[in-house]
Amino acid sequence: MMDNRTFLIVGLVISLLVGCIAVFMASSDPDGLESTALVVQGDKTLTGAAHEDAEIHEVTEGRFSYESPMPDYALGEEMGSAGGLVAILAGTILAFLAVLGLVYVMKAPGKSV
Amino acid sequence: MHIPDAFIPIYQGAIYWVIALVFVFLAVRWAKNEMNEEKLPLVAVLAAAIFAIQSFNLPVSMGTSGHLVGGALAAIILGSPFAAVFILTMVLIVQGVLFGDGGITTMGANIINMGVIGGFVGFYSYKGIKAATKSMPVSAFIAAWLACLIPALACAVEMFIAGTFPLMEGLVAMGIYHAIIGVIEGVITVAAIYLIMNVRPDLVDNGVKPVKKVSAV
Repeated sequence: MMDNRTFLIVGLVISLLVGCIAVFMASSDPDGLESTALVVQGDKTLTGAAHEDAEIHEVTEGRFSYESPMPDYALGEEMGSAGGLVAILAGTILAFLAVLGLVYVMKAPGKSV
Repeated sequence: MHIPDAFIPIYQGAIYWVIALVFVFLAVRWAKNEMNEEKLPLVAVLAAAIFAIQSFNLPVSMGTSGHLVGGALAAIILGSPFAAVFILTMVLIVQGVLFGDGGITTMGANIINMGVIGGFVGFYSYKGIKAATKSMPVSAFIAAWLACLIPALACAVEMFIAGTFPLMEGLVAMGIYHAIIGVIEGVITVAAIYLIMNVRPDLVDNGVKPVKKVSAV
């Protein structure tokens, strides 16, 4: 049986590998919600593909908008796949550390984790 | 099914946030009570794995793609729907804040759909189907499929309330796409449960066998 430390490391490494493969292999087709939005606005039939350049009309008036530091899991066009890798690896490690950190803080007063 | 900021008016987003926070509070309490040095690695690894695999969109035909959401997986493996709320909340915060995947004002709605509804539907349908069929793969597959489909339908209703989609058109399209994406959810959920049961059978709280204390080797 795998001990906790090995499980933690193997699990994180597998996650990072999945993320790396995703950068190159993930489908760029719209997801279910985006597809539905395209269907609703008439740019896609229910079962057909959307036009290459179809864009989702977003209401921006009266809606919150936020510029994330790494939109679309990338660091901008010029960085290409390398930017994608950095973004995905950073996100995966951050999700991992966020759980460890939060539990550590939660359990901190007197109790061992 | 990450809802962007533009899809929901701010005041409705705030209402979803308030409801979500109740469940997030309960999930944090779950984590406080349940987390020990055996379970913490599993929760942390699941958060990393669910983040990574959510970035992996697979084509599902009809010009659409989808990915694992992970609510059923987290709830089944850790034996509580609040595990799904806890893990999905962490993943959604990282996705929304760092990558703009899912909005900030809509994060509450996303937590409700994928964490709360996904986690509760996944957990209780797994329990029910497991009791009837006695089969882990069958129950986990169906539970995961439902945990993808039902949140998508909830999302369609939220989109209707927000005035973004018409009700029927939204329900039909969201339903059809996520009925297919749900197959991905089912396959990966069953595979991941097998994988984790193989390396750490003691960690999996899925009712297959009583949790045994295993002495350190």
